[in-house]
Amino acid sequence: MPDLFIDVYDVFMRTYPGFLEATVVTLQLTAIGVILGTLIGLIFALMKISGSKILRGIANLYITVIRGTPLIVQIMFLYFGIVEIYTMSNFWAGAIALGVHNGAYIAEIFRGAIQGVDPGQREASLSLGMNRKQTMQRIVFPQALRRSIPPLGNQFIITLKDSSLVYIIGVAEIFSLANREAAQSYQPFESFLVVALYYLVLVMIFTFLLRLYENKLDVDKA
Amino acid sequence: MIVGKNIHKSFGDLEVLKGVDLHVKPQEVVVLVGVSGSGKSTLLRCFNFLEMINSGEITIDGHTINPKKEDLAKIRAEVGMVFQHFNLFPHKTVLENVIEAPVTVKKMKKEEAKKLGMNLLRKVGLEDKADVYPSKLSGGQKQRVAIARSLAMEPKVMLFDEPTSALDPELVGEVLQVMKQLAEEGMTMVVVTHEMKFAKEVADRIIMIDQGTIIESADPKNFFENPQNERTKQFIQLVE
Ligand SMILES: Nc1ncnc2c1ncn2[C@@H]1O[C@H](COP(=O)(O)OP(=O)(O)O)[C@@H](O)[C@H]1O
Ligand SMILES: [Mg+2]
Repeated sequence: MPDLFIDVYDVFMRTYPGFLEATVVTLQLTAIGVILGTLIGLIFALMKISGSKILRGIANLYITVIRGTPLIVQIMFLYFGIVEIYTMSNFWAGAIALGVHNGAYIAEIFRGAIQGVDPGQREASLSLGMNRKQTMQRIVFPQALRRSIPPLGNQFIITLKDSSLVYIIGVAEIFSLANREAAQSYQPFESFLVVALYYLVLVMIFTFLLRLYENKLDVDKA
Repeated sequence: MIVGKNIHKSFGDLEVLKGVDLHVKPQEVVVLVGVSGSGKSTLLRCFNFLEMINSGEITIDGHTINPKKEDLAKIRAEVGMVFQHFNLFPHKTVLENVIEAPVTVKKMKKEEAKKLGMNLLRKVGLEDKADVYPSKLSGGQKQRVAIARSLAMEPKVMLFDEPTSALDPELVGEVLQVMKQLAEEGMTMVVVTHEMKFAKEVADRIIMIDQGTIIESADPKNFFENPQNERTKQFIQLVE
């Protein structure tokens, strides 16, 4: 047991100088993945609740395909699909893949949040003479947005962890650090243990920040 | 003021309104009664075009509405509606709730709307609550805000769908008081309620709906003392 502890400590001491840089990359991937995913998700959520059968069909197809295939396949697909055709860095190929992937999940978050707003809200708004658009913009969306913050935070944390898959196209994020260290030191167990701790601490920090923010929202609303 | 002619409304195979005729005169207060599921809410919702009738005709202030061709938002603005569960906007303060429609729909200036809003809140006795959020209010206060919010659009007629049914008994009075005051000021009102004391005191006419048809229509005195329909008699026995 003390041996393991010393080995882990060694790996930690060797990796932490690179850790900061890798963390920045991971956080950038996560941020772009979530922001892009939010934009895509918003568009597809609106398509899904729209009156047009065609738009609904497109949105359904997108969501089904993305949710029905592994993220790692999507990353490779986009990598060989875009990077080959357009000159784009591996980082951006990975970030876009995360965004496209998140888009499907966030679309469902928004759709659920919009449809979860009490129908009485819409009726009250319409009964006051507000039209559909005004009702959506001023009454339904603001409430839906509040409802989607907790699941969006959750999605952020999932993305933080999912971003590790981007190592497969050679982006130097946290997981690739472990991979490299494992290969060089012949201490794979210790290396992955250290990286697991890195992720765990990051996730705990963001979970804590999210809680703070959600509590603040609750207070505002009350 | 608001006239329904031969209104039919079905949900799928279920025919809820089976040819309802209702003529509400200006400044008249009509109370609608009937057992649960008889179609009272549906009738009110048709008058506000939250539900579309399958056949028949609705006329508001002399103007027969063709729902396919007209701007329903404009028509709804003329017909206020108060719901059983208040449906206040939880993300807006009390005053913001009241001025939302005047500002958004009528493009009223914020300052002017606030003045109007404060006057209406004073009218329902809640000017001191202008800046709080609805979650801080009691049920009775919420419903009074909802009434003020409706009035802010200066509707020609007000529809009330069981406005006190979700309230604790001790809070019913304050809402009925506001409604009574409105009636005295000459507002045209259609009220679904189980508050028979209110019906007796305030209604010009009480209408009984049963299984989607009007089976009794009389002034309060005749309604209670001399009901014609068997079902009305049963209903009166039940509520008294
Ligand atoms: N949107 C709807 N879809 C299907 N059925 C409905 C809908 N709204 C009301 N109904 C049905 O219509 C009947 C009358 O309902 P309602 O008008 O709410 O009655 P009341 O207000 O008199 O209790 C009920 O049987 C109810 O289940
Ligand atoms: Mg009802």
